Amino acid sequence: MTTLLDVRHLSKKFVSGGGPFRPVRSMHAVNDVSFSVDTGRVVGVVGESGCGKSTLARLVLRLIEPSSGDVQFEDLDLLAQKPKPMRALRARMQMVFQDPYSAIDPRYTIRNAVTEPFQVQGVRQTASEADDKTAELLSMVGLSEQLAGSYPHQLSGGQKQRVGIARALALNPALLVLDEPTASLDVSVQAQIISLLEKLRDELNLTYIFISHDLSLVKYFCDEILVMYLGRVVEALPSTDAAARHPYTRTLLDSTFDPDPKLRRTIEPLGGEVPSPFDLPPGCAFAARCPVATEKCRTELPVLRADDGHPVACHHPL
Amino acid sequence: MTSAVWNKLSGFAPFRAFSSAIGIVAGGFLILLLLVAFFAPWITPFDVAAQNLANANAAPGWPHIMGTDEFGRDVFSRVLYGARTSLSVSATAIAISVSVGMLLGAAAGYFGGLFERAVMTVVDLTWSFPDILIALIFVAIIGPGLTSTTFAIAIAYLAQFTRLTRAQIVRLKSETFVEATINLGATPAHVVLRHLLPNALAPVIVVGMLAVGDGIVLEATLGFFGLGAQPPTPSWGAMMSSGTAQLFISPWVIIYPGVAVAATVIAVNLFGDELVRALDIRDRVRS
Repeated sequence: MTTLLDVRHLSKKFVSGGGPFRPVRSMHAVNDVSFSVDTGRVVGVVGESGCGKSTLARLVLRLIEPSSGDVQFEDLDLLAQKPKPMRALRARMQMVFQDPYSAIDPRYTIRNAVTEPFQVQGVRQTASEADDKTAELLSMVGLSEQLAGSYPHQLSGGQKQRVGIARALALNPALLVLDEPTASLDVSVQAQIISLLEKLRDELNLTYIFISHDLSLVKYFCDEILVMYLGRVVEALPSTDAAARHPYTRTLLDSTFDPDPKLRRTIEPLGGEVPSPFDLPPGCAFAARCPVATEKCRTELPVLRADDGHPVACHHPL
Repeated sequence: MTSAVWNKLSGFAPFRAFSSAIGIVAGGFLILLLLVAFFAPWITPFDVAAQNLANANAAPGWPHIMGTDEFGRDVFSRVLYGARTSLSVSATAIAISVSVGMLLGAAAGYFGGLFERAVMTVVDLTWSFPDILIALIFVAIIGPGLTSTTFAIAIAYLAQFTRLTRAQIVRLKSETFVEATINLGATPAHVVLRHLLPNALAPVIVVGMLAVGDGIVLEATLGFFGLGAQPPTPSWGAMMSSGTAQLFISPWVIIYPGVAVAATVIAVNLFGDELVRALDIRDRVRS
């Protein structure tokens, strides 16, 4: 298996304030994140709101410039690319966005939206070639080609998300970053989109990074899971049935519901508060809420250690 | 009109401004005014510059239906011809203002940072003076005449369009479709020209249309001060200015151009409101 994407020590610091009356405040949205993705795998990224999942997605695609770190994509140093080759390289790595309602320009017809990738990449097409390509892409994502002349507001959320996927697939990418692609859709439509994504992965040999806060969905869909907490990866589960070793992952896993009433159980709620990302504690960021935290956890930062192919950043792994 | 033609036209959003009585009357008046302005040299019953001192200050009647001024020139002909002067100066000025303003506003909104600060500081500086003062200063510097009036009006309204466009661009820039397009590998030019500006256009066009009304008033004001069109070119403002001297002898000299200014500005504003309604951009026009 070859490595498609290799991320090393990636960090993004956002700075706000500055000026005579406001002190400079900085926030590490993503802090020293390393992971790699092999061709054909589906890697899930989970964590609560504000943990840096979406920022990580944008850093990996270089939609935001990282503060430090390295990204190797198809053995190319992504961050060293000049603007022009970078734009060409973007064809190989695409993204499906969380909000399908604003992901298509309201003034574009569906045909224009799915042929825009070719236009942007300088691929010349005659009108009939564009028609054929539109029909092909729409049928690939399960849409009728009669929708080609429609505007986004005439489509349902699920249809729009399918158009978003068609647009992302137009340029034959190797990597697809899915940023909560089902979060703003109805549950029944979510299932359709997920099965479409599974079908496309098999047909086109795609590699996915799947970002979500829905843990049961991630467990169903992904091969391996990165768990993030306040900008850091706290645990990398090598498979979906691996036992949680970080107390935070355990709590997350415990919070998913089983649809079987016989499996009813009480959930232990987490105490404490999430620290402000502007003012992180010196030790483990989870220490304030952790049931097993000790003095060491509050003063010394645990590093992500991979002793046995199951990396975890905890002084007292379970 | 057959319903098929109507359906096709009403599919074009700006045309729906004509779907109310106010829209038809105001829009119809403006179309008539445009025709008059365009064909003025051929439809005026008398030569606009021909003096006839024997018939000066004649009351409205036949053949001078709006009377004559202090030189015996036909007021009706001069009001018709004045539409040409007023509309061309104001429309040209606003067109310059809109083009430059959109360019500056789009660049400021898209690139942000120091460039945005610099542009917006200069633009806000011009906005902190009354329009008429800016126009006066400008005309005072380069001298009176129609060209300087045009540029003075363009500068006076530049701030409005720069600010409006910038606000639209900043709002649009955070839309997901912009990020999605960049992620496809689009150049900044593609993003600005194919996504940001087309989406920002509608409110700017409507505000521009309304500003043509203000431009006519400003042109008339400059003309009234003798800084706009120079004699014998007829301009509504200049006509009112020369009429003030004979206000109590021959009030028609000042009343008819005044009515023309008022009617035009009212029609522009009413039609502009209908256009805002037709394009459904009420919340985006005021910013």
